[in-house]
Amino acid sequence: MDSTINGALQQAAAQLLTEGKVGLVIGYGRANGGPSAAPAFVRRAEDAERLLFDATCFANLAVYLAKKDVRDLLRGAASQAVGVVVKGCDLRAVNVLLREHVVERSGVVLIGVRCPGVGEPLLSKCTACDVHEPQGCDVVVGEAVPQAQAEKADRYPLVAPIEEMPLDKRWAYWEEQLGSCIRCYACRQACPLCYCRRCIVEKSSPQWVETSAHLRGNLAWNAARALHLTGRCVGCGECERVCPMHLPLSALNQKMAKLVEERYGFRSGLSAEETAPFSAFAAEDTEEGIL
Amino acid sequence: MATTATAASLFQASAGWLAAAAEKLRAAGIEVLAPIEREQGRVDLAPLEGRNGLAANYLNTVLPLKRLSFPETEVILNYDKRENKDVALDVPSAPAGERVVLGCRPCDASALAALDQVFEWDYDDVRYRQHRERTTVVAFACTEPDGHCFCTSVGGSPQGEAGSDVLAYPTKDGGALLKPLTEKGAQLMERLEGVVQPAPEGAKLPAPPLVKPKFDPDKVKPWLDEHFEDAFWTEATLACVGCGACSYLCPTCHCFDIVDEAVWNRGERRRNWDCCSFSLFTLHASGHNPRASQAARYRQRVMHKFKYFPERFGRLACVGCGRCVRTCGVGQSLVAVLADIEARNGTGG
Repeated sequence: MDSTINGALQQAAAQLLTEGKVGLVIGYGRANGGPSAAPAFVRRAEDAERLLFDATCFANLAVYLAKKDVRDLLRGAASQAVGVVVKGCDLRAVNVLLREHVVERSGVVLIGVRCPGVGEPLLSKCTACDVHEPQGCDVVVGEAVPQAQAEKADRYPLVAPIEEMPLDKRWAYWEEQLGSCIRCYACRQACPLCYCRRCIVEKSSPQWVETSAHLRGNLAWNAARALHLTGRCVGCGECERVCPMHLPLSALNQKMAKLVEERYGFRSGLSAEETAPFSAFAAEDTEEGIL
Repeated sequence: MATTATAASLFQASAGWLAAAAEKLRAAGIEVLAPIEREQGRVDLAPLEGRNGLAANYLNTVLPLKRLSFPETEVILNYDKRENKDVALDVPSAPAGERVVLGCRPCDASALAALDQVFEWDYDDVRYRQHRERTTVVAFACTEPDGHCFCTSVGGSPQGEAGSDVLAYPTKDGGALLKPLTEKGAQLMERLEGVVQPAPEGAKLPAPPLVKPKFDPDKVKPWLDEHFEDAFWTEATLACVGCGACSYLCPTCHCFDIVDEAVWNRGERRRNWDCCSFSLFTLHASGHNPRASQAARYRQRVMHKFKYFPERFGRLACVGCGRCVRTCGVGQSLVAVLADIEARNGTGG
C-alpha cells in the first residue's frame, strides 16, 4: 500500500474542514486496537490526523450518508456538506444514492482513494476490480494503481458454481444456507442502498414478509432483499462481510447483477448520471422478465 | 492456580470419551448436542452423529447456548377460528425428551444463570423452563481464549462453573477431568459409568489460561447512574449502523417480539428474538419513538446490561464472551465503550 496516502488523506480532510467546505469528514481510523480499520467521524481539522487508509478499510462508508444520526451531527455546523472517503467500489454506491436523489451532489464532497484492493488475501471483488481509479471525485489521493482489464466473466465468479448445480441440489443449498439466517438485518443495515425509512419487513399491517427466522420467512426476506437491490446493488459485498452467519449473499447479488448486465447491458453505479433500467421505460425494453 | 480435588468429586475420561459418551447417551434415548464444525470456522451446537465434524479447537459456537432454551423463533400458541366463531387454542409443550449439551463454553453456561432469573421472575415462562429442565449442560473449560474474550472483567472465568451441570477440563492427551456441579451433573456421571471413572486421589485441575481484565464494572456503574443524558453516547456510537448482530449473538440478550402468522382462520403465535438496536423496537403506534436515535438505542444496550439488570437481579447481563465485538462489521466495541466510561468515572467527566 502507498505509504504517503495517509498524509495526503489527512491533509485533504483538514483542508476541507478548515476552509469550511464540509462540516464532517467520514473516513477510516484505527479504533479500539481492532485488527481492521473502523469508520471515523472527524469534525475538527486537528482531528484529521486520525484518518488512514490501508488494506483493512473494508467498510463502505457511503452507508452513513443516508443515516439520520450522522446528518444530525451537522446541526449548527458552518457547512452542511459531508466529506466521505470512498474506494472506487464504494463510489459506485454513492453514485446510486445520487441518481436516486437520496444525496445531493452539492451536499457531499467525495474524497476518492486509489485502492489496490483490501483483504489478505485480496477479497474476490478486488481481484476483479475495474474501478481502482475513482472517477468524478472532488479530491483523489494515493498512487495510481495499474488497471488490468477485467473480463465480464470475472465479475460474477460466485454464480457459475451454483448455476451448475441441478435444480434440486440448488434448492437444498439455499435451504441450508438461508435456513440459518437469524434475521439480525446486519445485511440491510450495512448496505448503503438499503436506506428505506421503513423496510418492507417492518410493515406489519399487513405483514408482507414474515419476521420469524424459519425457512419460509428467511426465504421471503432474502428474496425481497436481493430483488429490491436488483439493478441497484453495486457489489460492494458489505452485506456478506457483516453477516454473522456467513451466508453467501454475494452469490445472490452477483446473480442479479449478471442478469441485469446480460439483459440490459447495465452495471449499477458506474456514473451518477446513468439511467437505471428499472427506473425508466423504453419501447425496446426486453419483455423476457415479464410474467 | 491448580487446585486439588477429592476423588469423590472428580471424574476422568480418556481420549475419545466424547464420542463414547454421546453413543451411550443416544442409546438411552437422550439427544446429544455438541460443537460441530459445519463449515470452516463455523461451529454450531448440533446433534452429534458419529465423530464427524466434531470441532476440536474451537473458540466458541457462532450462536450462543441460549437458543436451546430461547430459540430464535418458537411457536407458543396455535389458534383456529371455527365457523361458530369460537377460537380453539392449543399451547404446544416443549419436546419432552432429555438432552445433553456436551461442550458449550463456561461463559455461555453462566449466561443461563442470568436468563433463569428473567424467565422465572414475575412470570413463570413455561416453555423456557421446560427446555431448561430437560437439558443437562456440560461446559468445556477454555484453554485458548482469544484477545476479545473478557469474562474476567465481568465476574467470570475461563473455568467458570455458573450455569453448568458439569465442568469438563480437557487434558492434553485428548481426555478430560469432569467436575459435576449439580444433582443433574452427578446423575450424568452415573449414566456415563464406563466412559468416565472417578479420578484418582490428588488429581490436579489445570490452571486457567490468562484472560486479561479490561474494565471494572463497579467503576462503570456510578457513571451510568449519573449520565443518562450525555454527549458521550452520540460520540461513542456514531459508527453503529443499528443491526441486531451483537444482540442476536449475545448469550444474555433476551428481548423478544411476538407475532401471529396465519393462513385464513388458522395460525400460530411465535416468539422471535428482538433487539433494542432496531429503530422499530420502541416505535409507538402514535409514531413517537422514545429512543429516536441510534445513540439512545445503544445507551439502552449498555444501561440494561450494566445498570438496570444489576439493580434488579444483582448481577450483570454480560458474560464477556466477546461475540459482539468480534462480529461487529464497523468495529463498535462494547469493551472499548466500557473502558472509556470507566476512565470518565475516574476523572468525573
